[in-house]
Amino acid sequence: MQNSEGKMTYKEYLLVLKECSPYDFCEYSDNSIDRRIQKIMRDYHLTMDELIHKTRNDEAFVELVVEAITVNTTELFRDPPVWKFIRENVLPAFKNRPKINIWHAGCSTGQEVYSMMILLHEAGIFDKAEVYASDISKKALENAKKGAYKYSFNYSKYQENLNAAFADSVVPKITDFFDVSKESDQLIIKPFLKNKTKFVRHDLVKQDLPFYSKFDIIFCRNVLIYFNGGLQSRIVQCFHDNLFPGGFMVLGTHETLNGFFKTKFAKKGPVYSRTNTFHFKY
Amino acid sequence: MHNPEHPYKIIVMGGSAGSFSVVSGILSKLNPNFKIPILLSLHRLKHVRSGLSEGLSLNSKIKVLEPNDKEKIEPNRVYLAPSNYHMFIEIDGSIALSTEESHNHSRPSIDYTLMSAAYVYREKALGILLTGANKDGAKGLKSIADHRGYTIVQDPVTCDIDTMPKSALQLFCPDEILSPTEIVQFLNSLQP
Repeated sequence: MQNSEGKMTYKEYLLVLKECSPYDFCEYSDNSIDRRIQKIMRDYHLTMDELIHKTRNDEAFVELVVEAITVNTTELFRDPPVWKFIRENVLPAFKNRPKINIWHAGCSTGQEVYSMMILLHEAGIFDKAEVYASDISKKALENAKKGAYKYSFNYSKYQENLNAAFADSVVPKITDFFDVSKESDQLIIKPFLKNKTKFVRHDLVKQDLPFYSKFDIIFCRNVLIYFNGGLQSRIVQCFHDNLFPGGFMVLGTHETLNGFFKTKFAKKGPVYSRTNTFHFKY
Repeated sequence: MHNPEHPYKIIVMGGSAGSFSVVSGILSKLNPNFKIPILLSLHRLKHVRSGLSEGLSLNSKIKVLEPNDKEKIEPNRVYLAPSNYHMFIEIDGSIALSTEESHNHSRPSIDYTLMSAAYVYREKALGILLTGANKDGAKGLKSIADHRGYTIVQDPVTCDIDTMPKSALQLFCPDEILSPTEIVQFLNSLQP
């Protein structure tokens, strides 16, 4: 179980983590997980042996490891053309429907959850939306629930994204949806958008979903890139099974589906829609 | 030492300030059938997010694309790290993208792409560091050298901003220090 340089491998460490905690990172893509573990060893000044020992004996430390492995890069209306497309081509059909169920899988600190809230509100279908958001990171979920983001660092970027998402339309202002606290340098989501979403802690590696209903839209952006091909496929299959026919899946702009899913989803602009294909068993 | 018996399997080029025109110039003068895949990790201006691949495509003799995650690396292609993603090579020769923290205030990070090329392709990796305004890329290029790959640094005299090449030169001694014209000549000589 040792590599040519005589060190224990990251793969072996992931087995230890899996064995003594509820977390299974074995199917994360090698490249990123190696770097995340290196970072943990650097940040906590640990050798691999010490890391393994601490992981076996310190439950609180395991939670820190999970937080350190998780990547939390996100922003309001990230990739504006995607949101513009959803606003113009996905949401209008729901005006005549009784309900819209949405799941943000891997919601991180919640910026995209609130981006969608804004679109739902502006489309006049906010009240009939049922919205869930999940993430493996406890810390990210707590931030998401608060809906509070750095003001000076983000404000102009967020407004710029919002402008692009609402191009060719009446552009709202960030301050229509966020209160600005100059003292704490924060943008804080306004109460009318805040308490709609049910945030749940969920690890996408585990297949047992904590939901009772299927979904009209599933967001999972820049999450699958951290997984290997096998795990990616299992999760996309899970999304497929939990979407209504014709429902939408929204991935990151540089994430694609492998050949197996080409008949199960149809690409519509920057989003995927579940096709109505039935697979007969003989 | 450059050994023509061991052809390079991958080329990684990195740069920041001023590198667009240098890269564009190099791509416009390469043999159209230049086979070795080229990975480009270029820092972008903060608010210029799109248009870089289109800009580079205009004069390039080789197809320039922004890859998707897990995309297989093909010959005769230039892969530009998408805006706001780090770009890596996986062990199986595919591309991996990541939105991890910035490295040296940069995403994409040139170090990351170079280091993963060094790790996967070892002596078959060729790294080129161009003009740039921070030290990102220096460590990555050294890692190519440490794995016995081949390293080229743009001659600081020919750079708009020479911080990046000079950081590399402070760290180790590359195989070549070349002007952009010489870099093109070198690349085209790899496959006569």
